[in-house]
Amino acid sequence: MPVNVEKELSQSWKRLHGAQAEIGKTFYRWRQVALEFAGDEVAPLDVSLRAAEIFGKDISKSFLPRLNWLKGEEGFMLILGKALAGIWNTDGAIAKVEKGDNPGEIFIKCSRDPWPTWAKEFGVPMEEVALCRERMYQSILEDVGAFMNIPLKVEMQKAISRGQGETVMRLYKA
Amino acid sequence: MAKTLFEWDYSGFPGAEKYPHLFKPIQLGNLMVPNRVKYAATEENLNAHDGFVTDAGVAYMRERAKGVVGGLCFMQGVYMDEKRQGQGYVGQAAAWDDKFIPGLKRIADALHEERAVAGFQLMDCGRVGAVEVDYCHGPSAVPQRLRIFKPVQEMTRDDIKAVVQQHVDAARRGVEAGFDVMEISGIVGYLISNFISSYTNRRTDEYGGDIRGRMRAVVEIIEGVKAACGPDIPVGIRLCSEELLDDVRGNTIEESMESYKISEEAGVDYISCTLGWQESIYPVISRDIPMGNWIHLAKRAKEHVKVPIQMAYRLFKPGLPNEKIGAGELDFWEICRSMIADPLMPKKVLEGKEEEVRHCVACNLCLARLFRDAPMTCYINPVCAHESDPEFTDPPAAEEEKEVMIVGAGPAGLECAYMAASRGHEVHVYDKRDVIGGTLNEAKNAPYGDDELWTCIEYQKVMCEKAGVEFHLGTEVTEALIEEEVPDTVVLATGPVYPEIESAAKNSDKVVNLLDVMSGKAEVGEKVVIWGNRKPGIGCALHLAKQGKKVTIVGKERTAGFDINPSFKWRYMIYMRQSGIVAYNDCDIVEVTEEGVTVQTYDGVRWQVACDTIVVSERATNDNLKKVVQSEGIELFVVGDALIPRNLSSAVHDGYRIGMRV
Ligand SMILES: Cc1cc2nc3c(=O)[nH]c(=O)nc-3n(C[C@H](O)[C@H](O)[C@H](O)COP(=O)(O)OP(=O)(O)OC[C@H]3O[C@@H](n4cnc5c(N)ncnc54)[C@H](O)[C@@H]3O)c2cc1C
Ligand SMILES: Cc1cc2nc3c(=O)[nH]c(=O)nc-3n(C[C@H](O)[C@H](O)[C@H](O)COP(=O)(O)O)c2cc1C
Repeated sequence: MPVNVEKELSQSWKRLHGAQAEIGKTFYRWRQVALEFAGDEVAPLDVSLRAAEIFGKDISKSFLPRLNWLKGEEGFMLILGKALAGIWNTDGAIAKVEKGDNPGEIFIKCSRDPWPTWAKEFGVPMEEVALCRERMYQSILEDVGAFMNIPLKVEMQKAISRGQGETVMRLYKA
Repeated sequence: MAKTLFEWDYSGFPGAEKYPHLFKPIQLGNLMVPNRVKYAATEENLNAHDGFVTDAGVAYMRERAKGVVGGLCFMQGVYMDEKRQGQGYVGQAAAWDDKFIPGLKRIADALHEERAVAGFQLMDCGRVGAVEVDYCHGPSAVPQRLRIFKPVQEMTRDDIKAVVQQHVDAARRGVEAGFDVMEISGIVGYLISNFISSYTNRRTDEYGGDIRGRMRAVVEIIEGVKAACGPDIPVGIRLCSEELLDDVRGNTIEESMESYKISEEAGVDYISCTLGWQESIYPVISRDIPMGNWIHLAKRAKEHVKVPIQMAYRLFKPGLPNEKIGAGELDFWEICRSMIADPLMPKKVLEGKEEEVRHCVACNLCLARLFRDAPMTCYINPVCAHESDPEFTDPPAAEEEKEVMIVGAGPAGLECAYMAASRGHEVHVYDKRDVIGGTLNEAKNAPYGDDELWTCIEYQKVMCEKAGVEFHLGTEVTEALIEEEVPDTVVLATGPVYPEIESAAKNSDKVVNLLDVMSGKAEVGEKVVIWGNRKPGIGCALHLAKQGKKVTIVGKERTAGFDINPSFKWRYMIYMRQSGIVAYNDCDIVEVTEEGVTVQTYDGVRWQVACDTIVVSERATNDNLKKVVQSEGIELFVVGDALIPRNLSSAVHDGYRIGMRV
């Protein structure tokens, strides 16, 4: 039977997007569970930020085997930035990296982010989305920094709600 | 005058004439060692999980002691802390209390009974430790690069003092147990090397900073251990000569050499030259690294220190160490995996029986097992870790002599043949090929060291000849032949069958067999699809990629090379990437067309891959001849790939075990 390329591609594309949507929904469903158990005294933002930290700690474990200082500072920062953008892209974003003004600075720019839409579905404030991403990245960078003995920081410079426009994050050697 | 423990006279032995430098004495501290052979310390996970020595561990060591023919024989590194942070392996021997001394003494006694020099090793596994607890310890809390290891707790000054004392106390216990040489292990990322390396030691107190600061704890350990051992027991250290950690800013070579000099100043009597780390991205001891690749590091070490230098690392054959010792570039031939594969290896060399050595194939299964908390086994040596079981070491003679027909002279058939014959059976091996070796005739043509697999056949051939096995090469065994011969027992070692691609009927001229490709018989186009993503398919893919072909692998396993053990598999994945080989895993070929093949994922997504040739490397169980054997009422065994397509190791282990039973 000849392969119908259009059919095969659209089928795979649908499956991928379905799976990506589940990433966000699963996170926010678990957020609800955690809040129920945590009770009223705990601020939802604190719960989400702690989750972001734990995610970051685990993700960093897959970063460490691949880090290579032999590529020089600029190469190292670029690869690191691309790896951070890659996590976002896996979820369905379009994130790219740009070199900054010096070898120790990289910008991650995201022009399509599915997270604010998912958050809205679950009534989660937009602010939380941006703070969680920043916290997750920072948590990854803590381990990367400790591993390489270089202090690394990330800051959210521009966060656009509901995924329109461009979100900008700065990754730099502190 | 230096002390001699046992008198050994090697004159008259062919090996001592052929390799004179290996069998001449050398002084270590105040001890005279009769030769230059050392069985290097080897964890084997054979001890009880509370650190006590077992019968299996003692028997394992006794065999290796026979092998060193008077040389150094080291037991595995012991951990020394009750909290078990320094314990790297579930079956690692312990020495944190006097209660362990009687067990350790059993090992020392066994080594002495074989007239070997007994070596004791102190090994706190540092950031590779804590196999039974939540945190390991180290000079600084540098995150782990490899997921399997536990998080590191930074040691306080008091912790460091305690660890120094633990080394001293454990050394005293080793001496009381009767050991003759003491060794501190600073190998591959264990605690000593964690202190020395700029990668893992970020301390700003007196135990960190420059290389002298980073060596402070090591110097305190050396001095303490020396004092505990007294003048008659030489103390050595295993030290990294090149960490291969430049990518994470580890030590420079100059710093490593400085660590050698500082250890010598602190009083060590010898240094064992090691290299690499568990966390290094560079391979050091897998089969793709040629034998002798690292020997120049011993020479460099000798240029920096005066104490004797010992070294292992892919020195699997005696020629090179003999030459280098003769040239003054090495003092001791250390051996680890070659004596896992054949405990009597140096003894056979001495006795002029080199062709009887069962050679290690550097697959690193031994290591992979340790990291999976399993007792060590050897890919190629079925007796390894069964040394305490006489059924394995000395299989009983056959109760009645049988005529055994073995069909297939591949590794499974040959292994079975010599074992059965040595137990008193009349054994006939048939193969339709004109040569022995089975599929290894083709497998050995795969790149990155697979030619070493053939050493297994060389060994088996000699063993078969010694045991009086009769060969009938160029003879296909048919139903008629079995009915004519009616042997008492048939062992089918016929290898796998290679299934057909059903949908290829119309375009079958494109389809070739893996073995024909590997032997150069088949014509292969520029674009190739290999069906099957286990090691044979990968070996073939790399072989073709080296000829400049564009290769795609399509296979049903979830990951390519799942049959290669994890300590070696990562090398193949890198070679595949570097060769531009694309692997579609969890997939199958559902159609062969004029242009190529249609590939389908497990969940039904399909696409086309253009190719000129399709190579079949998928294998299946071989049921040929089973029925006729059974219908004639003949005892039947099936071994190796014929039973279930697997690998050389299963072939050898199956063959040996059936050879023991038949
Ligand atoms: C390219 C390639 C790479 C490989 N790489 C590795 C590797 O890295 N590591 C590893 O462990 N394994 C590897 N293998 C697999 C390994 O070669 C096999 O698993 C092993 O040879 C199986 O041994 P065996 O004795 O069971 O069968 P075989 O070696 O297949 O031997 C079977 C023999 O039986 C004979 N025979 C069959 N039928 C008859 C009959 N009717 N009459 C007479 N003779 C008969 C055949 O001619 C053959 O000689 C590789 C294989 C290939 C092809
Ligand atoms: C299974 C296994 C266990 C080992 N255990 C130890 C050990 O306890 N202490 C140590 O210093 N080195 C240990 N090593 C390292 C070896 O002693 C040796 O240096 C290394 O394997 C390289 O030598 P080879 O190529 O002869 O195997 C081990 C190696 C292997 C393969």
